[in-house]
Amino acid sequence: MTPLILVDGLRKRFATRVALDGVALTVGAGEIVGLLGPNGAGKSTTLSILATLLPFDDGSVTIAEQPLPAAAARARRALGFVPQRPAFYPTLSARENLRFFARMLGLPSREAAHGVTEVLQLAGLEGRADEPVDRFSGGMQRRLNLACGILHRPRVLLLDEPAVGVDPQSRERLFETVLGLAANGTAVLYSTNQMEEAERLCARVVLLDLGRVVASGTPPALVAQAGVSATVHVRTAHALPKGWLATQGARVLESSDGTTAVAISHSGVVPAVLADVLRAGGDILDFTLHRPTLADAFFSLTGRALRDEGESAAAAG
Amino acid sequence: MLRGFGAALAKDLRLLARDRVGLVFLIIAPMVVITVAGLSLASLYGVKSAGDTVSLLPIVDNDGGWVGRAIAEHLAHEPDLETRAVSSTDDARDLVRRKQAAVALVIPAGTSAAIADGGRGHLVLYTDPVRWIERGRLYAVVQDLRHGLEAAAHDEATVALAGTRTRTDEARAALARSAQELDDGLARLRSQLADLQAESERRVAGGRHELAAQLARVAAERRAEASARLATVLAPLRGFLADLARSEQAFGTWLDTVRERAGRFADRIPPPPAPPAIPPELTELAHMEPQALVERLLPADDSAARLPSLPHVDPLPLPAFPRPELPSLPELPALRLPGLIDLEETSVTGAPHRLNPFDQNVPGFSITFLLLGVLLGVSLGFLDERDWGTLARLRTTPTPLAAVVLAKLAARFAIGLAQMLVLFAVGRAAFGVSLGRTPWALLLPTTGIVFAGTAFGLVVAGLTQSREAVLPLGSIVILTMAAMGGCWWPLDLEPRWMQRAALVFPTTWAMDAYNDLMIRRQPAPAVLAATGVLAGFGVLYLALGLVLFRHRVRQVL
Repeated sequence: MTPLILVDGLRKRFATRVALDGVALTVGAGEIVGLLGPNGAGKSTTLSILATLLPFDDGSVTIAEQPLPAAAARARRALGFVPQRPAFYPTLSARENLRFFARMLGLPSREAAHGVTEVLQLAGLEGRADEPVDRFSGGMQRRLNLACGILHRPRVLLLDEPAVGVDPQSRERLFETVLGLAANGTAVLYSTNQMEEAERLCARVVLLDLGRVVASGTPPALVAQAGVSATVHVRTAHALPKGWLATQGARVLESSDGTTAVAISHSGVVPAVLADVLRAGGDILDFTLHRPTLADAFFSLTGRALRDEGESAAAAG
Repeated sequence: MLRGFGAALAKDLRLLARDRVGLVFLIIAPMVVITVAGLSLASLYGVKSAGDTVSLLPIVDNDGGWVGRAIAEHLAHEPDLETRAVSSTDDARDLVRRKQAAVALVIPAGTSAAIADGGRGHLVLYTDPVRWIERGRLYAVVQDLRHGLEAAAHDEATVALAGTRTRTDEARAALARSAQELDDGLARLRSQLADLQAESERRVAGGRHELAAQLARVAAERRAEASARLATVLAPLRGFLADLARSEQAFGTWLDTVRERAGRFADRIPPPPAPPAIPPELTELAHMEPQALVERLLPADDSAARLPSLPHVDPLPLPAFPRPELPSLPELPALRLPGLIDLEETSVTGAPHRLNPFDQNVPGFSITFLLLGVLLGVSLGFLDERDWGTLARLRTTPTPLAAVVLAKLAARFAIGLAQMLVLFAVGRAAFGVSLGRTPWALLLPTTGIVFAGTAFGLVVAGLTQSREAVLPLGSIVILTMAAMGGCWWPLDLEPRWMQRAALVFPTTWAMDAYNDLMIRRQPAPAVLAATGVLAGFGVLYLALGLVLFRHRVRQVL
């Protein structure tokens, strides 16, 4: 079956800066594909091109079997776009915004009314549908932002970091909505730099860095491809002596000031590692098991983190 | 406190210094307005502004006399005025109606003659009262000209009178001299006549004496002749009378004899017929001496009374009469004072002579605030759409961008139209502005300027990337368009080059159309051309704006 999103050799240049350099990806119907990368990796540029907002220099892009840019107008009929920043009219109510975008999306009046009611329920905004949206919280605005993009039940949904700054409750509702759409056959391209979101939602992930696809595949496959392993971090009252680790499938990564990191081949060796610590006279104060993530894989593949510390703090907040 | 204040002050100054667009707004925009206003209003303060401010004054000279020549000569030296001889009043009217001239001057036939004859001449001004500044200036020029003509005529008459007075004085002196000469001549004539009279009398007396002597001689001769002829003539008479006396005596004798012989019958003898008695005068005449009879019949002292006609006496030749050289009196000049010149003003555009200033201000400032509303509204509206992200979202929908843009423009157009209608209604109610002969026709330029202004808002939106850029650019554009386009003051206040330059602004055409409808009271067809131009501006701006805006949208997203 032809993927609803088909990108091959996509190149885009802004003056002298190369934004995209041969990006290729596909998203099939009912599939959620994560576009993962740090800021400046080219995620928003890719989504803007797919959303028909930006022309591209080279490569091919097909949306719902409509090649861009020639068939952009037809592609837009199948397209739902949820921009990174909430995009609606702040002084209009949620209902008014939705009704307007429904008409702009080409829905007839009756279908538009039905669609508005439906997405208000999906977004959990039916109780405040008639308030001006500039009174909404950030999470509510994010939900409304998503609702505006799915009014017409698009065959292709492009999400540009839709959960940034969203409270956990809103984020969960947003995820459920996305999953529901995918379950109904929508091809979803989900751009984020939050590995948790990608791991939670995406069957496949495309790792993007400096405009290039670093790797793509399922999250476990990417982790495996990156060759990163789980680690056990043990904090002891005293530093452990040399040669204390005897367990097969484990090796010491680093040790300092009573904290030791041990790479393990699988989680089954953790008890044996802890036993080695005790045998070496280590007084275990606490220990943690860290499974390898997409961020680790990305770091391993690119040498760069997905997010800087500030972003991590903001995302956590 | 002070430290904090100082830091905050420094921060704000630093922010301002880095806001170049803001600095432009602070400096450039006012400079543009100051420049435009200064150039436009220079003439209001009596200062010659830079550039061409020459006014055209068509002149129709139907008189062909000295008035026209004097006017042409006078106006040739008038600064900033171009006169153009026009052949007919219709052409002059046409120039004013087509707004190529604010005033046309007509010199009616017979003006020169009327003024010269002391009558009232009049000059006709065809004016467009809407261009009241230029009209006022030209009116003043013509008034000045008119007073100049009157003064010149007065001076000319004064000089003529003075010349006449001089010539009259000279003539009077010459006349006095001639009169004196005449008196002298007459005195001489009287003396000669007296001499002539004395000579004549002397000659007549001589003649009479000689005549009397001649008559006496003739009379004596005639008496002698008469005496001789009388003696000859009286001789038979005397003989007859003697015979008669003898006969009577014989007859008496005879009769006595008869009677005697008749004896007794003598009584029967009838008395013989008495012979006619011989008049005693005849007897006396017969017995008078001829000489005495002549003396009796022709008394010697009657000769003078029965003089024959006097012999013809030729008069003495008259002395040569001195012919007086009478001076020829100078021709009297037309002593009538020159007539006055009336100015007759006719508005050929339909505008009243007294204007309601709100007829200018209501449309002018309505356009200004319309532009503020639609131009800034459109451009800032699109910036809002961009900032809200809605523009990008809309571009991903099946609805074409052009539809989105046009819909926004249509909304602004409707608002602008309503704004203008409300402002005109308020102007009508509060200030009594004229709505012209056909109020509905105001919709034509209103629709045009709202369309053009709205479309120009799209151009500004396409040229600017931020609202910090919109404000200075929009302000400069709006203020310049409004000021140069005649929204704040009449267009004819501006130098000619600025008036020509202002044609690139839709405001100029809109104000012209409003003036046509509201002040000149023109019918709707009069503003069709201006409305067409406004529509053209709108289409041009719309096309340019769409191109720029599409380019800008692609750049910024």
